[in-house]
Amino acid sequence: MALPAQSAFQLRTMGQAILVSDHVNATPNGGPLTEVHVVQPVITSIADLMHGRLQATATLNLESVTMPEGELALGGWGEGFVDRRHPHTTVHELTLATRDLLGHLDGAGRLGVVVGKGFVPYGSDDPMSRPMVHFPVNHHLSQIIERAVAIVQYDLGPVTVEGALFNGDEPEHPSQWPLIRTPEGTWRFGDSWSGRMTVRPVAALELQASYAKVHEPERRAGGVLDVHRTSASARWDDPSVRSGRYLMAEWARTSEFDGQLGFSSVLAEGQVSRNRWRAAYRFERTERPEEDRLFDPFHAKRPAPDNSIIGISRWTLHTVHLAADLLQTQRAIQVTPFVEFTAGTVTKVGDGIFDPRAWYGGNAVRQLSVGLVLDHGMRGHRMGRYGVLAAMDMMHDH
Amino acid sequence: MRHGTLVGLFLAVALSGCSSAGTTPSEHTLTLSVASGNSQTATRNTVLGADFVVKLVDQVGAPVAGKSVTWGVVFGGGSLAPTTAITDANGLAVTRYTLGPFLGSQTITASVSGATAATFTATATGGSIALVSVTPMPTGATYHHDTFVRDGIAFVCAWNAGIRIYDVGNGVAGGSPSNPKLLSSIITAVNGVPGGVSAHNAWWFQNPTNGQKKYLFVGQEGFGSVPSASSGDIHIVDVSNLAAPVEVGFIHVAGAGTHNFWMDEAHQLLYAAYYNGGVIAVDVSGTLAGDMSNRIIAQNLPGGTGRTYVWGVTLSNGTLYAIDMVSGFWALDPTTLAIKGGGSNVEERYGSDLAVNAGFAYTGTWGTRSGVRGNAIKIWTLNPSTGVPTLVDSLLIPNITTVSDVAISPDGKLLVATAEGGAGNGLYIFERSNPRSPTLVSSYLVAEGLHTGEVAVVNGHTYVFAAHDPSNPSMMIFDITGIVP
Repeated sequence: MALPAQSAFQLRTMGQAILVSDHVNATPNGGPLTEVHVVQPVITSIADLMHGRLQATATLNLESVTMPEGELALGGWGEGFVDRRHPHTTVHELTLATRDLLGHLDGAGRLGVVVGKGFVPYGSDDPMSRPMVHFPVNHHLSQIIERAVAIVQYDLGPVTVEGALFNGDEPEHPSQWPLIRTPEGTWRFGDSWSGRMTVRPVAALELQASYAKVHEPERRAGGVLDVHRTSASARWDDPSVRSGRYLMAEWARTSEFDGQLGFSSVLAEGQVSRNRWRAAYRFERTERPEEDRLFDPFHAKRPAPDNSIIGISRWTLHTVHLAADLLQTQRAIQVTPFVEFTAGTVTKVGDGIFDPRAWYGGNAVRQLSVGLVLDHGMRGHRMGRYGVLAAMDMMHDH
Repeated sequence: MRHGTLVGLFLAVALSGCSSAGTTPSEHTLTLSVASGNSQTATRNTVLGADFVVKLVDQVGAPVAGKSVTWGVVFGGGSLAPTTAITDANGLAVTRYTLGPFLGSQTITASVSGATAATFTATATGGSIALVSVTPMPTGATYHHDTFVRDGIAFVCAWNAGIRIYDVGNGVAGGSPSNPKLLSSIITAVNGVPGGVSAHNAWWFQNPTNGQKKYLFVGQEGFGSVPSASSGDIHIVDVSNLAAPVEVGFIHVAGAGTHNFWMDEAHQLLYAAYYNGGVIAVDVSGTLAGDMSNRIIAQNLPGGTGRTYVWGVTLSNGTLYAIDMVSGFWALDPTTLAIKGGGSNVEERYGSDLAVNAGFAYTGTWGTRSGVRGNAIKIWTLNPSTGVPTLVDSLLIPNITTVSDVAISPDGKLLVATAEGGAGNGLYIFERSNPRSPTLVSSYLVAEGLHTGEVAVVNGHTYVFAAHDPSNPSMMIFDITGIVP
């Protein structure tokens, strides 16, 4: 499939911010809590260079300013935060990609190469590009983000194959850049790898399966621990029909300590759109490691001082989301009030000492969020897709 | 840029919604202020040279007589005489402060009804904690977990970097606590344990029956899940030549992993806490080589299956003491490991380390259990005939979640604790003139926390060899000589 003709240089800029009030019925060692934050304040610029042969992507994420202590989130975890979603790094993406490196030399095939900081080709779309405002519990099982990454892609017909090298360590704070090499000379870039295959049997349907070996994700200096992540998903998105329909189902599993420790997730979500209205539903059942917490119970020590956990929790959550576009200005800024409600249970898996009833006062958990999305061009943008995948998205947009 | 404006608008809305501060008009009509005596310095536990004096005036600045001033110690543990005083015709009230044992700044307040309290500070001097060296762990070492110090040699358990052997005053390489000299290192075998080398703790066995200083026992802490799973072997390293250690054997317990050790060297017995495997006793007499698992002569799970996760053991006065994270503090028979008493005696917190000395024991606490943080050191008396512990008191350390290690100085005067999990992370020194009620005399805060603190005397000085938690793991050596005369 040929790429559409482009001018020598094109720049697209998009952005969003979400003002949200979150009310959670059960917080660690406490009762209900309500907070107001601006979440997901991002600005993305995509520059097409050399008539589209090169594409540069930069995303600035200001969550370090608007929610430095994280966002209340049922089951949220990762990067030292627990029961909160951590703020993402300020420079969220900064990549340079080719979309068809060999041009006509490889016939209908397209070879893409991507370098920079961004999403690793693994798992499903970033939750920021999906219907719900709140991230699912499985974010750290189903996406690998904010890494120094080098990706090679090849797209032929309905199949895209990707392979990547990246640094295994997760960011320790929002202003941190990926560590390429430790001061002692140990390479972190390249200590981890991933592969993903995407098949599109029909235009609206996308199937992906991926695997990643992530080296010592929670310790920047490296170490010995390899984490193995596996993901498979199916995505149906047909915006062409009058009532837009989106469906996605995924399974993901992370395995650590030579398989002694594993966490699984299943998730299914869908959305229907009609005129100004959008309604979405998400189900997920995700397991989460439980670690000893700090004096601030929304945090766990990172890196942990040993190889132990105190248990595994399983979060079974149903989320409904209803939104209506309030206005659409000539400058394409959409103002969309929304309400999102999550209800479900957190239960103990196995015989660890972590007891959700002691931490949350019971097994039933609920979160009610109301807010306002301000969006300019971000809706429909599938963040973290570069090179040949970005070209494919662009063609669909056309 | 319109997108920036967009985000800025949201920020402004959010921030304006989140920040509302009001002022409350003062209802105070009197003013209490420090007149003299503030900021004195003296040796701790001594009377200051000058009185604390406050002055009370009304709204036009005229002295107020006949008002009762209450004096109180906010921090420092000292005493005041008197604790209440009446203002004289000049509006003055006086007290004298005897410094408490805590080194550094101590805080005293004077308060009177209708006025804002006045605050005094005084500085207590004396022996203090002095950080004498910081030795980073080598490239790729994820943690420094524990240190065993004997004869001026420090065996540093550096997790995936194995065991690192330092001269810290032995003389063999000119090292000292302020300048440790690396003699050698050894990366012990993985033995198929998930988590890798994970060198966690060590004990240098000095065999009084033959004079050998040949074997170093190394604990490996692999993957674990409290309270049901653990992994890791005891590795036996021949350190006859400290410059060239060689691993010669191991001890394996199926389904469990080791934690802290204690030795009855005279009887050539190694005791090891084994988490969900309870406690084991191992005959380590003679030559040790290969799989020494058949030398295990006793094993017991004091809390029973599902309620046993033993952190540490200590032999004292014919009783083996075991602290279990889940089921409490136990007294065991050192030969059979049969239960003598104790257990189910710390139910509100998880247990951590232990230290035993002359009829008293101290146990740390860990993590958060049913909302209660592990910020306590439990104080136990030990029955002189049966050895059975009785809980008599607790010390609390604020702003932490774990007392990760407790130790007693060789002269018995000091109780040393390390702390993790909060703003109170660091090193705490208590004096034990009354062992039933140790008194905090000094602390040294370390932001990321200290995981362990081994107390040892090297060339006449008392040091704490502490394991500094990641992200920059290191051996921190503190001189605590003279804190208590």
